[in-house]
Amino acid sequence: MRSTGAIVLATMVLFSSGARAQETNLTVPIIAPITGLLALEGTSQLNGANLAIAHAPAGLKIKSVTVDSGTAADGGANALERVAGEKNVDFVVAPLFGTQVLAMLPGALDYKMPLLAPTGTGPVTEQGNPYMFRLYPHDAISKAAHIRYVVDELKLKKAAILYNTTGYGQSGFKYMSEYLAKAGGEVVFSEGIDLSAKEISATLAKLKAAKPDVVLIQMHSASIAMVVKQLAAANIQIHVVGNTTIAMPATAALLQPSELKGVCAESASWLEKGASSATDRFLDDYTAKFSAMPDAYAIQQYDGLMMALTAVKNGAKSAEDVRKYMSSSEYRGVAMTYKSDGKGNLAHSVVIVCYDGASLTPKLVKRYDDVAGF
Amino acid sequence: MSGAKLRRPLGIIGLCALAAWPIVMSSPYDLRLFTLAGIFAILAIGYQFIFGYVGELSLSQGAFFGLSAYVTGILAAKAGFDFPATFAASIAVSVLLAALISLPVLRLASHYFALATLGIGQVLLLLAIDWQSLTGGAIGLSGVPLPRMFGFQIGRGWPLLLFVWSFVLLAALVAHQTKRGLYGLACHVVRQNAIAARSLAIDPDRIRFAMFLLSAAVAGVAGALHAHTIRIVSPEGLDFKVMISCLTMAVIGGRTHIWGAVAGALLVVHLPEWLRGLEQGYVIVTSGILIAILVLAPEGLAGLVDRLLPAAVGREAIPAAASAPASQVAGEGVLMPSETPILAIRGLTKTFGGVHALNDVTFSLMRGSITAVIGPNGSGKTTLVNCVTGIYRADGGEMVLGGNEISAMNSEDIAARGVGRTFQNLRLVDDMTVLDNVAVARFRTEQTSLGKAFLIGRRDARLERARSHAMHVLRRLGLETSAYLNCGSLAHGTKRLVEIARAICLDPVVLLLDEPAAGLNETEQADLARILEGLAARGLTLLIIEHNMEFLKSLATHMVCLDYGELIASGRPSAIYQDERVIEAYVGRRYGAEAMA
Repeated sequence: MRSTGAIVLATMVLFSSGARAQETNLTVPIIAPITGLLALEGTSQLNGANLAIAHAPAGLKIKSVTVDSGTAADGGANALERVAGEKNVDFVVAPLFGTQVLAMLPGALDYKMPLLAPTGTGPVTEQGNPYMFRLYPHDAISKAAHIRYVVDELKLKKAAILYNTTGYGQSGFKYMSEYLAKAGGEVVFSEGIDLSAKEISATLAKLKAAKPDVVLIQMHSASIAMVVKQLAAANIQIHVVGNTTIAMPATAALLQPSELKGVCAESASWLEKGASSATDRFLDDYTAKFSAMPDAYAIQQYDGLMMALTAVKNGAKSAEDVRKYMSSSEYRGVAMTYKSDGKGNLAHSVVIVCYDGASLTPKLVKRYDDVAGF
Repeated sequence: MSGAKLRRPLGIIGLCALAAWPIVMSSPYDLRLFTLAGIFAILAIGYQFIFGYVGELSLSQGAFFGLSAYVTGILAAKAGFDFPATFAASIAVSVLLAALISLPVLRLASHYFALATLGIGQVLLLLAIDWQSLTGGAIGLSGVPLPRMFGFQIGRGWPLLLFVWSFVLLAALVAHQTKRGLYGLACHVVRQNAIAARSLAIDPDRIRFAMFLLSAAVAGVAGALHAHTIRIVSPEGLDFKVMISCLTMAVIGGRTHIWGAVAGALLVVHLPEWLRGLEQGYVIVTSGILIAILVLAPEGLAGLVDRLLPAAVGREAIPAAASAPASQVAGEGVLMPSETPILAIRGLTKTFGGVHALNDVTFSLMRGSITAVIGPNGSGKTTLVNCVTGIYRADGGEMVLGGNEISAMNSEDIAARGVGRTFQNLRLVDDMTVLDNVAVARFRTEQTSLGKAFLIGRRDARLERARSHAMHVLRRLGLETSAYLNCGSLAHGTKRLVEIARAICLDPVVLLLDEPAAGLNETEQADLARILEGLAARGLTLLIIEHNMEFLKSLATHMVCLDYGELIASGRPSAIYQDERVIEAYVGRRYGAEAMA
C-alpha cells in the first residue's frame, strides 16, 4: 500500500513538473493610445491585443501590461523604457500612432526588442530598423488600392482630397496625390484639416466650387465622421472614398445609415462569418467580450500578436528569436496572410467596402491581395 | 524650532532626496523620467523669468521649446552637426525669434500679451506641419542622435541624466543670480506695479525685454535637450499641451522659486507615470491631484512652504554710511527757498477726448519751496502730477527741470533726472520689506543691469549700498524700526511715510506728493508736516496735492489752485485762501459771496 502511494505521488510529481516544463511564461506589454484624440482607435487596438492573449496558444502563461501612450510624441518611448526591462518580455505591442513608433525605434534597437504596430505611417519601416514590424498595410500599399479602385472601378479622375494634418493624414495625402497623378488623374482641391476641427462648411464650399467627381479622405475616426456628416448635411452629391477609419464600426456608429449612403472605404481587413473557424471564433468572442464589432486596428493587432505568440509557442526563447520568426515566417491570420517584405511590412492585402445607405455595416466590393505601389 | 530655522535643514534634506532619487529609482525607465523631468525643470525655470519674475503671462514658452527642438532635429538629424553647434544654434534661433516678436508684443498689456504670444506657437505649429520638406510634416523628423561633442557621445541612462541635470544646475544658477540682487528687487517691483517702477527710474520695458529673451534662451536649452533625449522632433513639441504643462509646473511649484520649478517638473512628469496602473482613470486622478494642490496651495508648493515655514526676514549687516542721501551729505543746515525756479511748467495742456484735464497751466517751483496744489475733485491736480512725471504725455506746453526740457521724456528718465513722487493710491510692494521697497529706488543710481547681476559674487555690493542708503532715509523719517517688516503689514500712515522715503531714496531735486495726508490722523499729519518741512529746509523742492487746508496752512510756502484744468490762482497761502475765485471753485458762487461777506 505504501509503495503504491509512493508510485502515485512520484507520478504526480513527474506529471506536474512535466506540465510546468511545457508552460512558458511570457509578459506582453501593450502600449496603445487609450486616452486623448486617438482613444477610439487605440481602444480597438487594445481590444484586439487582449483577445489575442485570451486566444493564445496552449502552453503560454501570459501576463499582459497595458500602458497608455497618450498622444505625446514620447509617450510610446517612455512606455517602452518602462516595460522593456521587465521579466519575460520578448516583444512589445506598439501604438498605432506612427510618430510615437518612430520615437520608439532607437529604444527598440538598443534593447533589441521587436515592436508590433498596426500603423500605416510610411517612415516607420523606412529607418532600417530590423525590430520594427508593421501589422497594417503600408500607406504605399493601401493608397495604391484606394486609387486603383477610384480610377479603375469608378472611372473617376478629378479628386478633392481632405486629410488630417497628422502624420497619418499627410502620409495618405502624399501617396494619393502621387498615385492619382500617375494614373492620369488630378487633384482639383485639397485641404489639411486639424484633428480638433468641428466645422468645415467653408472648406466644403471651396471643395464644391472646385467641381471634383470624387472626394478622397484620409482622416482619423472622429474627423472622418464629422466630414461625412457635413457632406451629407450640405447635400454634396459626390462619390466619397475614404480611408479605413470610416469602415470601422465605432465610426459608423457616429452616423446615420443615410449619411453613409454610397460612401466607400479602403480597409486592411474584411471578415466574413463562416470564412473559417478561426474567423468565427474571433468574431464571436470579440463581439461577446467587447459588445462591438471589431475594426481594422483590432483585427490587425489580433493577427500580429497571434503571430508573435505563435513564434514563442514554436520555440522562440528570446526577443531575437521572435524577431527572426517575424522576419522570415508566413502566418495565416483571420484577415490575411502575413509575411515580411524584408523591411518589416507584414500586411499586403487591402479591401474596398461600401455602405448601401440601409445599414451601418459596409459590404465588400473589391479585394486587392499583394498590392504593389504605382 | 521655529519655521525659519527649519527651512535650512529641510532644504538640505530636499537636496539629498533629489540626489538620491535616481540612485534609488534607477531602472532605465526611472532614469529616463528623471532626465525628462530635468528638461522640463529647465523649461519651467526659464518660464519663471517672464511669468514669475516680471509677472507677464507669456504663452510662447512652449513655442520656443518646440522651435529649438526643431532646430536641433534639423541640424543634427539632417545636417549631421554635433551638439555644440546644434545647441548654440537652437538657443540663438529661440532668442532671435523672441527679440523679433518682443518689439510689438511686449507693448501689449495683460490678456492681449497672452493672446499674442499664444499666436506665435500656433504659427510655428502650422509651419512645422506644412513645411514638410524641412520639418518632416506632421510625422516629424526621426533619427535625432544622442548628444555628441568632441568625438564623444553622451550615452543613454546615467550619462544623459547627468548631462541634462548639469544644465538644470546652470539654469538654476542663472535664475538665482537674476533674482538675488538689486536687479531681482527691481523685477519684483515691475511685476507688482510697473507705474511705481517707472517712478523709481526703473524701465519696466527693458526688464521685461531682458526676461523675455532669457526665458526664450532657457526654453531653447530645454528644447535642444528634449530633441536629443526623445530622438524625434514632431509638431507635438509645439502643441499647446507643452505650454499647459509648463504653466502647470510653474503654478504648482511656485512662480518665483527655483526649487518650485524643479518640484513642479518632477511632479508633473512623474505623477501620470506613477498612476498609469489606473489605465484610463489615471488622467482623472492626475488632474484631481493637481487641482487639489492648487486649492490647498494656490501660491504653489514653494509658496505653501513659505506660508507654513516663513523665512526670517534678512537682517544682513548693512555697511555703515556706504552711501548717504545727497541732501544729508550737504549738511544739516537750513536752506531758505531760493528765487531760482527748479521746475518751470509753461502752458501745460492735456485733454482726454473732449475734456480739458489741464488747460494752459503755467507756474514754477522754486528751489527749496513747498508748493501746494489745491482744487476741487476733478480739477486736474493728479493729471498735473502725472504729466510732470511722464505717466501722461502732455498735449501741449513744456516742462523744464533745472534748465533741461523734460516734456518728451519717459517717466523713468524723468525720475532719473530727479523728479520723485508718491501716489494718491499707495503703490508699495506689500510682500517686500520696507527696507527693500525703499532700497530699490537706487536701481538707476547703482547702474544695475542683468549682465552685472550675473557677475554678482557672494554678496551684491550694489544691493548693500542701496540698503545702506535706504536705511539712512528710513532713520531720518523715524522708520528704522519697521525696516524689516513687510509693507503689507504696516498701518496706512506708515505706508505713506514709506512711499515718501522711497521717493527720497531716489535723491530727487523735486518731490511730488499726491495727497500725502489722506487717511492720517492729526498726530500723523503733524509728524508728516514736520518731516516735509525738514526736507524742504535741506533744499528739496516739494509740490503737494492736498485737500486738507489745515495741513497746508502752515506748511506751504506757495499755493496754486486749479479748477476745470485751469490755473485760477497762484500766490501765498494766505492770499489764496481769500481769493474769490478759489472760494467760488470750492463752495460755489452764491456761497462764495456769502463767505466773502
